[in-house]
Amino acid sequence: MYIMHCTFSSLPMNPSHAQDEHEVPAQPVAETPVDYMAHIKGMRFFDPHIHMTSRTTDDYQAMADAGIVALIEPAFWLGQPRTGLATFKDYYASLVGWERFRSSQFGIKHYCTIGLNSREANNEALAEEVMELLPLFAYKEGVVGIGEIGFDDQTAAEEKFYRAQLELAKEANLPVQIHTPHRNKKEGTERSMAIALEHGLDPGMVIVDHNNEETVKSVLDRGFWAAFTIYPFTKMGNERMVEVVRQYGPGRIMVNSAADWGISDPLAVPKTAALMVMRGISPDAIRLVTYQNAIDAFAQSGQINEADFATPMLIDQSEKFNGNTILRGGQQPRRDASSLLIK
Amino acid sequence: MTLPDLFNETAIESEKAWLAQKQAAPMPAKLAAFVAVPRFVSRRPVPQQPDWTMDRLARVLLLTAIPADDEAAYVKAIETLFDTAEMQELAALYTALPYLAFPQKWHFRATEAVRSNMGPVFDAIAFGNPYPAQYFTEAAWNQLVLKCIFNDKPITRIHGLLDRANATLAHDISEFAHERWAAGRTVPAEVWQLVPRFMNETLLADVKKLLQSPSKADREAARQVCEATDYNAAKQLMYNA
Repeated sequence: MYIMHCTFSSLPMNPSHAQDEHEVPAQPVAETPVDYMAHIKGMRFFDPHIHMTSRTTDDYQAMADAGIVALIEPAFWLGQPRTGLATFKDYYASLVGWERFRSSQFGIKHYCTIGLNSREANNEALAEEVMELLPLFAYKEGVVGIGEIGFDDQTAAEEKFYRAQLELAKEANLPVQIHTPHRNKKEGTERSMAIALEHGLDPGMVIVDHNNEETVKSVLDRGFWAAFTIYPFTKMGNERMVEVVRQYGPGRIMVNSAADWGISDPLAVPKTAALMVMRGISPDAIRLVTYQNAIDAFAQSGQINEADFATPMLIDQSEKFNGNTILRGGQQPRRDASSLLIK
Repeated sequence: MTLPDLFNETAIESEKAWLAQKQAAPMPAKLAAFVAVPRFVSRRPVPQQPDWTMDRLARVLLLTAIPADDEAAYVKAIETLFDTAEMQELAALYTALPYLAFPQKWHFRATEAVRSNMGPVFDAIAFGNPYPAQYFTEAAWNQLVLKCIFNDKPITRIHGLLDRANATLAHDISEFAHERWAAGRTVPAEVWQLVPRFMNETLLADVKKLLQSPSKADREAARQVCEATDYNAAKQLMYNA
């Protein structure tokens, strides 16, 4: 642990999702361990923003155990810029192919949003080619929106491709999942909404992501959906989230983990639900912000059938591939993580 | 029953009308329709063909409506669909291989499906699909069968299984069994039906071992090998038993 700590402090990482630079990471607080799972027993969750290509099978198993029945994986960058069109194509194909299958093995319904992320919009020549590729994927089964798109640095190139993708969303009649920037967040959020309205999008078709206490009021007032990312150190903490729901109510608010290849938590949604239970938020409100609102927003794509995951999904044995990656021949699909013996 | 009959028997009117319109549409619209199928044809089993679903059948029918007069254009269109396919589309494309023009052109693609770790994609080439038996090289065929065995999938659902049995495959099955046995694991008894025509001393030893197996299925499989083979030492085992 000590070595890990040193590594991280000597090599500061550019965080994947939010970092409000004036926000200082909280000091770890000693807590009594709480069996939070007992508070959410039998509840179902929908995580509308999580990057599963960066997560392990252990994460999938833990998510299924915690009650996550469906998720949305927005198209994203890889932590470093891609250098060619073919890697974009393969990435999009993996979101509707291998990752979708991998998720199904744990009984979790996998949807995705397709888009050119804001950082990579800055490589204009490549971005132009990617724009030609996007329609091939935007109309695929299980693609529930154009995302995550928006601003990072708020450059002219970012604005150009943000606008172009809003047009694609309109054309395909798909919801839009907007990533709001880490720096100048308030301004970037306002600008993202103004441009969406300028292009004639119905705010009811737009999910503004990575909100905080500073941005939420305006987003809700203008009729957009407000998503909150519970992401350690750099974004919302779940205690703050409880207070946001207490103040604004559950309407058009949704919680996600945005877990990815950074230090993040794929159980952020169920953990936040448990904290809400413990702090007296009503069951109806919890259900809305951790399940139903995300479904209502993204089901406008016509690509979500709640029946596919509302009842416990039977893991189709014929779809279980005992290959040399996930489930080895003859092995029970469930691994006993606490066992010393690996059979 | 022809594929169109199979579809029309189960499809509702709106599905039939949509498919007929798209089959007659110009090429780009046809390709877009291939992607859009689940929006217009619901995913439910084809009653007479339980491995297929109605949306997959509709996709295969759209592919058969692609004009094959220009080979280069035809191959390019199909390759584009493969390159950008999601999981169900891939399964439909592989299911359609026996119905496509220029069948030899798809050999490499078909072996890619054997390499796939997506269950529905692998199953689409492996089970009830006449393409591998007809066009696979021996090496590709053996890989298909061995991968099925390795993954505990039922080889009996492979089209043409016994017709394409060969000595190399019999050898590979024996090797695989030794590896599994050494690891304290088992081999599905049905694999031994692929060895009677290729018996040798090694396989004879395997059969002897199987006759002593605690598994009834293993013992029965060994007896069937002895009955089916012309290899005298194996036939002898039965007389002695």
